[in-house]
Amino acid sequence: MDKQVREKIVAITEQYSSPKTAVLSALQEVQKSGSGYLKQEDMAEVATLLDVPLASVYSSCSYYSMLNRKPVGKYHIEIDTNIPAMLAGAGDLLAHIEKRLGIRSGETTKDGLFTLSTVEDLGACGTCPVIQLGDRYFEEMTPEKADKLIESLKRGQIPESKSKVVVGGDRKVLLRRVGQPNSTFISSYLKDGGYKALEKALGMKPEDVTAEVKSSGLRGRGGAGFPAGVKWGFLPKDSGKPVYLICNADEGEPGTFKDRQIMEYDPHLLLEGMAISGYAIGAKRGFIYIRGEFAWIADILERAVEEARSSGKLGRNILGTSFDFDISVHRGAGAYVCGEETGLIESLEGKRGNPRKRPPFPAVSGLFDCPTIVNNVETLSLVPFIVEKGEAEFRKIGLPNSSGPKLFGVSGHVQRPGVYEFPLGTPLCDILEAAGGVKGNLKAIIPGGLSTAIMTAEELGDCNIPMDYDNLPKRGTSLGSGGIMVMNDTVSIPAIALRAIEFYAHESCGQCIPCREGASVIKALLSKMVAGKGTKEDLETVLSLTATIKGTTICPTGEAFSVPIEAMIKKFRREFDALIQQP
Amino acid sequence: MSVTIDGKLFDFKPGATVLEVAREHGVKIPSLCYHPKIGPAGRCRICVVEVEGQKGLETACTLAARDGMVVSTDTPKVLEVRRMVVNLLLSNGEHNCLSCEQNGQCELQDAAYQLGIEAPAFVVDGPPAEVDKSSEMIVIDRRKCIMCGRCIDACNKVVVNEVLGMGERGHESRVVCDTDRPMADSTCVQCGECSQLCPVGAIIDKKAIGKGRVSNLTKVNTTCPYCGVGCQLTLHVDKDANRIVKVTGREVLPNNGMLCVKGRYGYEFPSSPKRLTQPMIMKNGKHEPVSWDEALDYTAGRIKEIVAKNGSDVFSAFGSGRITNENNYAIAKFTRAVIKNNNVDHCART
Repeated sequence: MDKQVREKIVAITEQYSSPKTAVLSALQEVQKSGSGYLKQEDMAEVATLLDVPLASVYSSCSYYSMLNRKPVGKYHIEIDTNIPAMLAGAGDLLAHIEKRLGIRSGETTKDGLFTLSTVEDLGACGTCPVIQLGDRYFEEMTPEKADKLIESLKRGQIPESKSKVVVGGDRKVLLRRVGQPNSTFISSYLKDGGYKALEKALGMKPEDVTAEVKSSGLRGRGGAGFPAGVKWGFLPKDSGKPVYLICNADEGEPGTFKDRQIMEYDPHLLLEGMAISGYAIGAKRGFIYIRGEFAWIADILERAVEEARSSGKLGRNILGTSFDFDISVHRGAGAYVCGEETGLIESLEGKRGNPRKRPPFPAVSGLFDCPTIVNNVETLSLVPFIVEKGEAEFRKIGLPNSSGPKLFGVSGHVQRPGVYEFPLGTPLCDILEAAGGVKGNLKAIIPGGLSTAIMTAEELGDCNIPMDYDNLPKRGTSLGSGGIMVMNDTVSIPAIALRAIEFYAHESCGQCIPCREGASVIKALLSKMVAGKGTKEDLETVLSLTATIKGTTICPTGEAFSVPIEAMIKKFRREFDALIQQP
Repeated sequence: MSVTIDGKLFDFKPGATVLEVAREHGVKIPSLCYHPKIGPAGRCRICVVEVEGQKGLETACTLAARDGMVVSTDTPKVLEVRRMVVNLLLSNGEHNCLSCEQNGQCELQDAAYQLGIEAPAFVVDGPPAEVDKSSEMIVIDRRKCIMCGRCIDACNKVVVNEVLGMGERGHESRVVCDTDRPMADSTCVQCGECSQLCPVGAIIDKKAIGKGRVSNLTKVNTTCPYCGVGCQLTLHVDKDANRIVKVTGREVLPNNGMLCVKGRYGYEFPSSPKRLTQPMIMKNGKHEPVSWDEALDYTAGRIKEIVAKNGSDVFSAFGSGRITNENNYAIAKFTRAVIKNNNVDHCART
């Protein structure tokens, strides 16, 4: 570890009350500055520097998929093969690159130039197939584009990568400014009336801001749909401890790629939302926990935070008041479970992202055992609108129990995959139409990210189904994060089910038995079925496991795979039965 | 305050968990990750119970008892989850009770027995897990590990040696030493607390392997003779062979189950052929066994003789860390009151 890296790590530790918090950041810095992987000596150095037991450094290091413990080539090509990517042809792309480089996934070319890996969902579901190369994404890849990329890398040149975005819908609040030139800069944000809501909020009493958010009916946009104002209300009064606000930007649920559009194209909207929310809940410190793969977006956020600080919108005495609030951007290192709020908190503390037992809930004891509120990017980005225009204006959008606008990420077999902003309760058919309509014959959709139950074309009918927090549960599924995955009749549902459980088995944190062993057993049995070697008993075992696992795990991950797998088998039973070996 | 468990009313002290109340009153709820010394873990999910008026199941080890709470530990739903947990563990590991050291003292075996599971409900082939036999005293048999995390808590929270950790994640998770080193090459000091708390046969004492089954061993409680702390031990003795097979720490004061490497693993000396079992006096250049009376008379005579000839100051007494406080007191008293000097010292003083 050279002096510079050491100094950088020490600087990172100063942001936190405990140096241990910087374990992941330190490992990432060492990996980046060195040979692209972490040797045992590196871990030992980090352990000494941060005064953490070596075993805990290793425990954390081996938990996260972005931290390499084996040598990698000069260029590490990582291909997302999750379901949206699979529907967009990632399998062909992978096969092409394997042939082209003469290596299999997981291997490195003899000249040490390329390592090829497959990775789980990269949050680029609308622009798949996608290749991650270091801290960049190359989206909408084709075999031809991949050839060009490889050629360029062989010449030692990393081509420019411009991330793609397709947005649509009525774009009234969240995506209003996406696509405008310089939309990420504070000057542009201010010109469009930005930070006025913050000014207004600072003229109100904090409890009135909370009351406004509460009466707006704003429900958490991360997936659970829990009312944000009610969550804030769980904070203990005068605990004597600092209160923390965490923005959950660990967007990783397959089918979900909405939050990145806000952060990448309108970061100040999020920062303003956080400052107002921080004021309302009495926090002086905020964190944006962003998935590590979104490295360039984290850079954008860091720059925006710097801008906001130097123009008095963050930091001490914001807008001349006595309110102090600052934000740190904290990068994850590759783990789906860190999207669960207590797993996120553990990870932010530098540990494995294992979800915690509840109670206590984070509002009572969260980050560093202090009262903590964790809200999703989209949720926090809606707060400025509520404060500026008033809760009544917000409730005019959407339905009574599902108020406000919502981002819907549409991926899979549609003409224009992208992120669409519509009021909650907008019929599915309108969203699909905005996305250019279904490519081919509709077979099924997954309405709210991979963990929601699949709906068949028969159930969907003419797709005149309101997309909100009440109507979907009435139909046995849920809105989740609003990630709509569309599948046409070229898709085999058992193959989708297998890919789904492969994802969850890969991402299970492993601490509780039903999730760790259950996902692994279901994966083994479905893999056997898809290979044509399954039996009727195997299928029954899977169904009995999915039925029993629901509700028995520490965090919602057990349910996140039991529900969709069970729905796929029950609704497409014939396809599974057809794979069963006849005696 | 009282709680109803399976129809019976039990009083409890505030702060107690349902599992603690149940255990105190003999209601059997299996637990694989919970251990009283480590506290609520909530990971294995086998201790689930049903609470009246509550949707879903709760883990008894993390559930605080509330006044008036009505708990059931054996409803069909509870048993179904328990069966699933045991079946998942049995199907994924290599749990061969026939030759397992822990046969008869295994919490997974007990749970399977309680639930009437004779064989795993399904079998899944996985990659073979390895056995780490590298260290002197402890074997980590990962084929039998259920990743309950007790050993890790034991190492980090109880003895605070901070050697064991959980590596990887999901089904690949494995208990590792430091940076996944073989135990012998790690910073492990072989205190064996991990072995003591392992609920199954995954972490076992190497020297005891093949030396006797749990059911054939007699437990003898005693005090560790190595130093003055007075750690409480249980010797597991094969009476037929007159041999100590293994040693565990008793979960009582002063050591609360913890032992050092000597106390836990240095137990061969009582059966050593070189051990002195009777007094001897050098006669004609050879040590000859004598009676206690003869030995004591001889010693007393010589002390008297020497002191009378050279004055009391030539005498000094050395106590030992390996004898009791009372013995050491007697030595000091004897030296001061009988010999009349203060030349008393102790092997553990320097």
